[in-house]
Amino acid sequence: MTDQLSATFAALADPTRRAILAQLANGEATVNELAEPFEISLQAISRHLKVLERAGLISRGRDAQWRPCRLESAPLSEATDWIERQRAIWNDRLDQLNTVLNEIQKTEKSHRTRQAQKGNDHD
Amino acid sequence: MTEISISQEPGLGEVTIIRTYNAPRELVFSCFVEPERLAQFWGPKGTHVPLESVVIEPRVGGRFEALMVADDGSGEFPMTGVFVEFEPPEVFSFAEPGYSDQSMVSRSTFEDLGDGRTRVTIYQTNVPEQFRSAEAMAGMTSSLDRFEEYLASL
Repeated sequence: MTDQLSATFAALADPTRRAILAQLANGEATVNELAEPFEISLQAISRHLKVLERAGLISRGRDAQWRPCRLESAPLSEATDWIERQRAIWNDRLDQLNTVLNEIQKTEKSHRTRQAQKGNDHD
Repeated sequence: MTEISISQEPGLGEVTIIRTYNAPRELVFSCFVEPERLAQFWGPKGTHVPLESVVIEPRVGGRFEALMVADDGSGEFPMTGVFVEFEPPEVFSFAEPGYSDQSMVSRSTFEDLGDGRTRVTIYQTNVPEQFRSAEAMAGMTSSLDRFEEYLASL
């Protein structure tokens, strides 16, 4: 797993941070707006925002006073790609299993045919 | 192989893949538990599995391990699983370390269709909460993108 992916998953491990991201999916918001639904301090919210920012999941505006937060979707795509890769791995395996099964059955069949021929030779 | 279907995901972070093979159930099952057979198909495209890396202890709690080696030498991907269920020739499942301390479980069931064919269902579950969250969030942002596109088209 890449470092970016680890950072993404670590950031998503916390329910408060997930709730913040869910809120940001509706559009930009300020720290005060984001803090509203929670019974935790602005300071605690700021700490969560720092984790999210470091993980690249959000970006913040430059205006020093207002600095609205915005959701960044690229790291999330990378995380979901991981799940897609799991699916791709299983698809490859099961395709290749078909080839293996065909080969085993072909070998068994020719083996049986040879046995039968041997039997005929003895007759 | 007579039929391929990839189901809609029943839930976030769950992967279900179904295949039907023209082969009897015992034979299909044996491919997953005999190292010589497993090594031939277990590595996804672009990788191979050295036979000596395969460890299969066919019992609950037994090890299920293989090393997937990139054909171009760019890397190695170890699988270190433990059997959670082992009931030949019907079902086996194994857990492997996922992210952090959580483990992911892959369950394979083998259904005898009664006409010489076998249906194999792979169900990967117990995907860590973080993965499911990422999927949910990405789903939310992509539907948001679509909504923005829709607004722009008005």
